[in-house]
Amino acid sequence: MTDCYKPRDECGLSSAIKDAATAKMPLVVRGAGSKSAMGRPLGGYAMSLTTERMRGVSLYEPTELVIGALPGTPVSEIDRMLAKHNQMLPFEPMDHRVLFGTSAEPTIGGIVAGNVSGPRRIAVGACRDSLIGVRLVTGRGDVVKSGGRVMKNVTGLDLVKLNCGAWGTLGVLSEVIFKVLPKPARSLSVGLGGMNDTTAIAALTAALGSSFAVSAAAHIPASIGSDSTTIVRLEGSDGSVAYGARELAKLWRSFGRAELIEGDESANLWLRVRDAHWLAQPMDRSIWRLSLAPSKAPHVLADIRQKLGVRYFFDWGGGLVWLAVVDADDAGASVVREAMANTGGHATLVRASSEMRHRIDVFEPLPPAVLKLTQEIKKCFDPDRVLNFGRMYAGI
Amino acid sequence: MSKIRFTEPNREILARRDSIINDLTRLVDPAGLITSTDECRAYETDALTAYRKMPLAVVLPKTTEEVSAVLKYCHDTGVKVVPRGAGTSLAGGAIPSEDAVVLGLSKMNRVLAVNYDDRFIRVEAGVTNLSVTAVVAENGFFYAPDPSSQLACTIGGNIANNSGGAHCLKYGVTTNNLLGVRMVLIDGSIIDLGGDYLDSAGLDLLGLVVGSEGQLGIVTEATLRILKSAEGARPVLFGFPSCEGAGKAVADVIAAGIIPVAIEYMDKAAIEICEAFAKAGYPLDVEALLIVEVEGSDAEMDATLADITAIARANGATTVRESRSAIETAAIWKGRKSAFGATGRVADYLCMDGTVPTGKLSYVLAEISKIVQRHGLRVANVFHAGDGNMHPLILYNANDPSQQSKAEAAGDDILRLCVEVGGCLTGEHGVGIEKRDLMRCQFDDADLVQQIRVRAAFDPRWLLNTDKVFPLDFRCQG
Amino acid sequence: MQTNFSLTALADAHVSESEKILRACVHCGFCTATCPTYLLLADEADSPRGRIYLIKDMLEEEKPATPQVVEHIDRCLTCLSCMTTCPSGVHYMHLVDHARAHIARTYTRPLPDRLLRGMLAKVLPFPGRLRLALRVATVSRPIRKWLANLPGGAQLAAMIELSSSFKRRRPTRRLPGATVDRPRGRVALLSGCAQQVLGQNINEAAIRLLTRHGIEVVQPIDEGCCGALVQHLGYESRALDAARHNVDVWTREIENGGLDAIVVTTSGCGTVIKDYGFLLRNDNAYAQKAARISALARDITEFLHELPLQDGVRTTGQVVAYHSACSMQHGQQVRDQPKSLLRRMGFVVREVPEGHICCGSAGTYNVLQPEIANRLRARKVTNIEKVKPQIIASGNLGCITQIGAGTRIPVVHTVELVDWAMGGPLPDVLEGCLG
Ligand SMILES: Cc1cc2nc3c(=O)[nH]c(=O)nc-3n(C[C@H](O)[C@H](O)[C@H](O)COP(=O)(O)OP(=O)(O)OC[C@H]3O[C@@H](n4cnc5c(N)ncnc54)[C@H](O)[C@@H]3O)c2cc1C
Ligand SMILES: Cc1cc2nc3c(=O)[nH]c(=O)nc-3n(C[C@H](O)[C@H](O)[C@H](O)COP(=O)(O)OP(=O)(O)OC[C@H]3O[C@@H](n4cnc5c(N)ncnc54)[C@H](O)[C@@H]3O)c2cc1C
Ligand code: SF4
Ligand code: SF4
Repeated sequence: MTDCYKPRDECGLSSAIKDAATAKMPLVVRGAGSKSAMGRPLGGYAMSLTTERMRGVSLYEPTELVIGALPGTPVSEIDRMLAKHNQMLPFEPMDHRVLFGTSAEPTIGGIVAGNVSGPRRIAVGACRDSLIGVRLVTGRGDVVKSGGRVMKNVTGLDLVKLNCGAWGTLGVLSEVIFKVLPKPARSLSVGLGGMNDTTAIAALTAALGSSFAVSAAAHIPASIGSDSTTIVRLEGSDGSVAYGARELAKLWRSFGRAELIEGDESANLWLRVRDAHWLAQPMDRSIWRLSLAPSKAPHVLADIRQKLGVRYFFDWGGGLVWLAVVDADDAGASVVREAMANTGGHATLVRASSEMRHRIDVFEPLPPAVLKLTQEIKKCFDPDRVLNFGRMYAGI
Repeated sequence: MSKIRFTEPNREILARRDSIINDLTRLVDPAGLITSTDECRAYETDALTAYRKMPLAVVLPKTTEEVSAVLKYCHDTGVKVVPRGAGTSLAGGAIPSEDAVVLGLSKMNRVLAVNYDDRFIRVEAGVTNLSVTAVVAENGFFYAPDPSSQLACTIGGNIANNSGGAHCLKYGVTTNNLLGVRMVLIDGSIIDLGGDYLDSAGLDLLGLVVGSEGQLGIVTEATLRILKSAEGARPVLFGFPSCEGAGKAVADVIAAGIIPVAIEYMDKAAIEICEAFAKAGYPLDVEALLIVEVEGSDAEMDATLADITAIARANGATTVRESRSAIETAAIWKGRKSAFGATGRVADYLCMDGTVPTGKLSYVLAEISKIVQRHGLRVANVFHAGDGNMHPLILYNANDPSQQSKAEAAGDDILRLCVEVGGCLTGEHGVGIEKRDLMRCQFDDADLVQQIRVRAAFDPRWLLNTDKVFPLDFRCQG
Repeated sequence: MQTNFSLTALADAHVSESEKILRACVHCGFCTATCPTYLLLADEADSPRGRIYLIKDMLEEEKPATPQVVEHIDRCLTCLSCMTTCPSGVHYMHLVDHARAHIARTYTRPLPDRLLRGMLAKVLPFPGRLRLALRVATVSRPIRKWLANLPGGAQLAAMIELSSSFKRRRPTRRLPGATVDRPRGRVALLSGCAQQVLGQNINEAAIRLLTRHGIEVVQPIDEGCCGALVQHLGYESRALDAARHNVDVWTREIENGGLDAIVVTTSGCGTVIKDYGFLLRNDNAYAQKAARISALARDITEFLHELPLQDGVRTTGQVVAYHSACSMQHGQQVRDQPKSLLRRMGFVVREVPEGHICCGSAGTYNVLQPEIANRLRARKVTNIEKVKPQIIASGNLGCITQIGAGTRIPVVHTVELVDWAMGGPLPDVLEGCLG
């Protein structure tokens, strides 16, 4: 792409979008401007817009547990800043570079646009749950704010959540504000080996149904490593974590002998879960992300495995399945979507060739009434369809 | 006298009342259609009784299909609809309009499914908040958002107002604990958003619907996340000789990275009122009281409490009292949760709901008392301090028209102050009619216009809860 | 809540009292959640908050009661669960009494309703007439289905149905008091009207219990009905007359020999006697005397609880579901004493889920509103049976008969059990039930 808007501030962002809208010229919105390999492909647009120059932390009140940043701020910069005060973004966003084999640093705007959340999502919520305020520029070039810097706020419609996970199809975020959490004093993992998917999910369910500060729960089946690993992470004060680990081992007695995993080993394990590390290679495999009720996950997987060669693992206590399809001419879409059909959950094609993403619905197709609402909402933010037109759904 | 305006009722609709009622009889069970003046009267207001309007009629459907039929009819014939749960809104969110049908969810009060493995419960929208926890408590689970009105308020109302409660400091408010809804749009179509899994597909319409105050559609079912209760929970009372000390202690606890389950604040006036009702053993010789609840294993609670106690003492706490039994704990929370109601013993009140940054609590408390004094009134403060969500109760005499307008003016001043210091007009009660005309303090026109456009995407004819949330001169745009 | 009464209206003592009550209500709606009729009907007009609001409108406008308002007030059980719940101390009982009186003054009920109410008021408070009526009911049993189809017949049929549940209790005559040597106290025991006929064994047990503890019991021969029944039917002046009469009778006892308490074994009556002081507050001749009587009134379990109690002599350990009558837990706020007495006697006492909800008896309610009453009974019985009791105990004859008609588990009065544990006779209904 030759032409690229690189606004320095909200004002510049607004005038860039106004220009594009006037010219009815679609824009590709990027954070770090690195990845065209995500979402539905936006082929052929002349212009892109990147927020990479709009960076920096705009507000940080460690004593009030809030941080605000401009959209192009690298996540790592925010992490570093928070770490100084022993705080963190609660939702543990993944680093897509592993999966996409890219190098540009993820930006906070991109994280919000994708509602990107990692293993801790089951304990403290998704990106959308920590996000308390946004400023954004709509497809009309209007600057709009919603939410703010306080935790509790029902003043007016929640455009914060609406824009979190909208993949930049409604507006370009110009500032995002989060509530943050103190880092846990201690974090360790408790693991079990040698379990099949069904018993593993049962063990995770037992752990999540306990009162022992479980902050993450995953199962990596034997097909990925040499042996299966079923792990939960406990986070909290020294005492509560140690106590929880002991109690959990008791609770798990019927499943097997629980093993403690601490320090870097534990931390690395969760980084791999977060970044879907085991599925990254080889790069030509299509990757899916399924969200469904944990109890349904083993059946869905058994169903898929009968028809497709896949590598997979479970996060979110079984509620999130990462799936790499070994070989299929539709990236496995028909099998995956059919298996998911009666679960109520949804499947997203995270990684696939551009050709594939063109052919297949990347995001779960919406029922007609919901699709109609989605179109109406797109229209009211971006009537000229300048922002990431077609990135989520055709026509949106 | 009454400051808040309602739109002029549509004469044409009023004239058609009989035929509308006649049509409605075909859409809902007769026991669910209320038309006599006397019976409609029971629905003319909510917990903001300073304002009231008699509705055209009240329907109490029993099924999603009935709701759909009524909405479709209203949509096709241009009749306004005001959704209603238990009518405990403090912002006038459920107050009818004269040319509107009230659609109450009270008869939709069944529990549809409980699933402990996947940790959710599915209920109809008219189920009360407390009965959700009551259903799952026998297995040691609970539903986290616990508005003080939880005994009476409905899940539908909670979703509409994104209700919070004392324990939301740790567990989040309604939007963080809601997995899915079934709702009926104004044209009668029935949609499901989210479900029994995390993060709904497509745009986060579920997130948008929460807090939308019944203006986007009518929620008829909800899937809620349930959590396993902690091993133990212990509230502790900290009494302070000054409000500033208590406010500072809250800020310091949060700043120290301690997130208790709840930090509730009461000033002297509120303590006296609540103690009179609940006999919870609140100290009466202090200016301000914090109820701090911690949970976990005994060792964990001890450790956290030691840290909190040190902070409280450093800020001058004179009383520190732990609950010693389940009965005491119940009494402590009963007192807190009854605070607004119990205030009725001493005066009428307007309950404000602004949120401020926790670092500004002490300053804002001091300013509030100046504002209220300036208007010649008194105030009692009782609120969720941990997240800065303030509830000054402006005490006045509702039978004295001049006091009513003074109270409202004081309320406006307080909310402006909340916005000025970086906060917002409403943390959990919603805008309703009460704060509608203050929306411009917090939002620019561009902000509001965008919200209105989104609203219109769901309800282009502005039939749902028409007079609420957005300033009256704002609706035609979009 | 804001009110809008004219100054002339406020000059009336009743109105000004009601206005105070209304002012305290903040319309928070908490009470709706614990109101039995709202639980069943889910219409705010059938909730306490709704009723308060309808009453407010009726009184403010000085309007005659309309059929709609009457219908919703009639559906109120006067269980007073709303008063327990209300954080603001709204005295719903006084407000609804006022409303009922207003209805009686301004509204003409349809004839069948009028006859039925008139009959209830003329029969129930008079033991002699009640005995007769029960005989009539027994012979009319065969025609109750036919009756049910007549206007107002459903209520008559309900009455007959109910009367048959008294079968297990033998109609009896009034008891004399009981003296003891060197008494450590002296109390008047309310005979009760229906109870004299249907539940004499209850007062027999009470007398044994009291005398066993050295308390002399008097039962003044001319004591009358407490007035609760007519009060709830809206016959205000009759209720006041009944109150005055009993105030006189007990005052005489106080003056001749002194009374430590007026002990009541029917919590429905206890609630009203404890309210005499309020009822007669505007009657200069009676206000003080009535207040004194109210202050002396005690439920039997309250009174026993304050005594140094003897130990039980029988093998207990049976599982007892304690059903707290509304007049007990809500009307008088007597909650723990009955349970602790039973526990003290060695019974295993279980709390009934949803214990705060009425069983549907509510004085004459099960006759006047049979449909709601039956639904409430079914709900109550289901809840009681959940805790798998061998015996159900309660402190109010109305509940005992109401619940008894819906379950095979025997229902007894708390004092009957306590008395048995201390050596008294086994209550009839427990014959063969205690393993
Ligand atoms: C279908 C799909 C699913 C994915 N799922 C996950 C996941 O579950 N977890 C995870 O960690 N990562 C996931 N990713 C990767 C995720 O997109 C990246 O981690 C993250 O967005 C990287 O940020 P970036 O700055 O590189 O954004 P970019 O790659 O530049 O942009 C990402 C998206 O955000 C939009 N965007 C960027 N900045 C803004 C802004 N300021 N305002 C509005 N929109 C903006 C872009 O238009 C684009 O749609 C997924 C990607 C795809 C395509
Ligand atoms: C004493 C007291 C204490 C309170 N304490 C708290 C507290 O601690 N925290 C808190 O957050 N709130 C509190 N509230 C406010 C109130 O209880 C909540 O806002 C509650 O969620 C309202 O629920 P409801 O069922 O009564 O709804 P209603 O008052 O009937 O309605 C509220 C709004 O929701 C809409 N609505 C209702 N049901 C639906 C539906 N099914 N679909 C769509 N829209 C619907 C209505 O149109 C209206 O706008 C308190 C209120 C009182 C009176
Ligand atoms: S609980 Fe009390 S204050 Fe609240 S509505 Fe009921 S009667 Fe009124
Ligand atoms: S007395 Fe009982 S039935 Fe009557 S309003 Fe109160 S709670 Fe409801």
